[in-house]
Amino acid sequence: MTNCIEIKGLSKSYGDFALKNIDLTLPGGSILGLIGENGAGKTTTIKCILNLIHRDAGEITLLGYDNIREERLAKQDIGLVLDECFFSDALRPLDLDKILAPAYREWDRKLFRSYLDKFGLPEKKLIKEFSRGMKMKLSLSAALAHHPRLLILDEATAGLDPVVRDEILDEFLGFIQDEDHAILMSSHITSDLEKVADYIAYIHQGQVVLSDAKDNILDSYGRVGCTTAQLENIDPRDVLHTRRGAFGAEALVKDRAAFARKYPMLLVERTTLEDIMLFVGKGEAK
Amino acid sequence: MTGLIWKDFLVMRKALKSYVLLIGVYILLAYLDFFDYSFIITFIQVVLAVLPISAFAYDEQSKWDRYAMSLPLGRRGVVGARYLFVLALTLLTMAAGLAGTALLYLARQSDPLEMFVTLMVSTTVGLLIPTILLPLSYKLGAERARPYLYAIIFIPVIALVLLAKAGVLDMSMLKGMDLLAPTALAGGSALLPLAGLALLFVSYLISCRVAAGKEY
Repeated sequence: MTNCIEIKGLSKSYGDFALKNIDLTLPGGSILGLIGENGAGKTTTIKCILNLIHRDAGEITLLGYDNIREERLAKQDIGLVLDECFFSDALRPLDLDKILAPAYREWDRKLFRSYLDKFGLPEKKLIKEFSRGMKMKLSLSAALAHHPRLLILDEATAGLDPVVRDEILDEFLGFIQDEDHAILMSSHITSDLEKVADYIAYIHQGQVVLSDAKDNILDSYGRVGCTTAQLENIDPRDVLHTRRGAFGAEALVKDRAAFARKYPMLLVERTTLEDIMLFVGKGEAK
Repeated sequence: MTGLIWKDFLVMRKALKSYVLLIGVYILLAYLDFFDYSFIITFIQVVLAVLPISAFAYDEQSKWDRYAMSLPLGRRGVVGARYLFVLALTLLTMAAGLAGTALLYLARQSDPLEMFVTLMVSTTVGLLIPTILLPLSYKLGAERARPYLYAIIFIPVIALVLLAKAGVLDMSMLKGMDLLAPTALAGGSALLPLAGLALLFVSYLISCRVAAGKEY
């Protein structure tokens, strides 16, 4: 299994914000979910991958190609859906066929039209009359119509209703059935990532603070609910982050089973990606 | 790259249709002697000046640049497509001007040489405007580059009028052109757009440099 994305030591500074030493790997046949708060560096990472901004340091390999020296070769095999629809309101879906076909060696007109049909998008309707869901489906149709091997999605499901989101997630799962294919998906909707992602990378204040297989994270991390007094009695080395409120305290632990053995009086539950984000974003580090 | 040229035409198809219709009406009015032919030529020149800036404005509105730069074309390819759009517009407007010249010559025996020279000069001026404005649009964006459009058009005109009024500029030198042989005049004027094209190429290189240093 080859890696579709390899990022080593990626750094980019804006003065008031810096992406620091990012390392990420996306193996073929899998989905990597990129999570993090607004402004954490997810979009900056994606922009560096696409060579839309100039990085300060690091190396990025996409499908075996260097993302700068062999940019055009790499991009032939990349499908892109960003957080908004970049097609002018004055265009119609069929116009995209004329616009994008000359850009891609393997543009498949039939496939593009079949996606339009599958997603129920009228070929000749002006894009300005499309809903947000329709626009995202149109972006996805355009991203898939040149037989890409790597899909890069930046908040592609944001603002969509659960039915449309589910439809699109099914499409992603179908896409990675091929071991050569992979998806990098940045999203705030952690429940979507829990459904489809194989790996999770959490970027916090420009740094990767957690990167592992999703099942490892969800199977091992745990959330402890307790009183403030009980929290004081826990060895700080056994918890990663804590949160204190008016009605009690919570702690994030890395090894749920080991914690339960050591503290049988405390209840430790499975955690969610959202919990982990809340602990890291709003809690106190131990 | 051809796809991006198509994109500009498709995004502006409504405006282009209106312009084509207006040009047709103006040619008809010139034929009926309501308008001077030079008015049509000026109109065509305005079209040439405004459309590339409008293309930038449409792109900004839909944030197209970020998407275009993600396509497997490279930054030079994306910039090149915009310049080829300008060239395509030049050829189309020139063809419309030549068709008008031929029509008026055949129908009314108007002086074709004068019309031809006017067309070549206006095409050259029409090329000069995007030559200056395109790098500015890449650097500043459509909205901030737009005031320069007015500056490029009005400042030389005002300067010429003021210089002529002050007696610094001797307009009688233009009369010397009448002494030139018609073939020399036609040949010389036909070379002007080529000079415009050379400058447009320099402008393309500058725009490529601007785009290469830009972050999207």
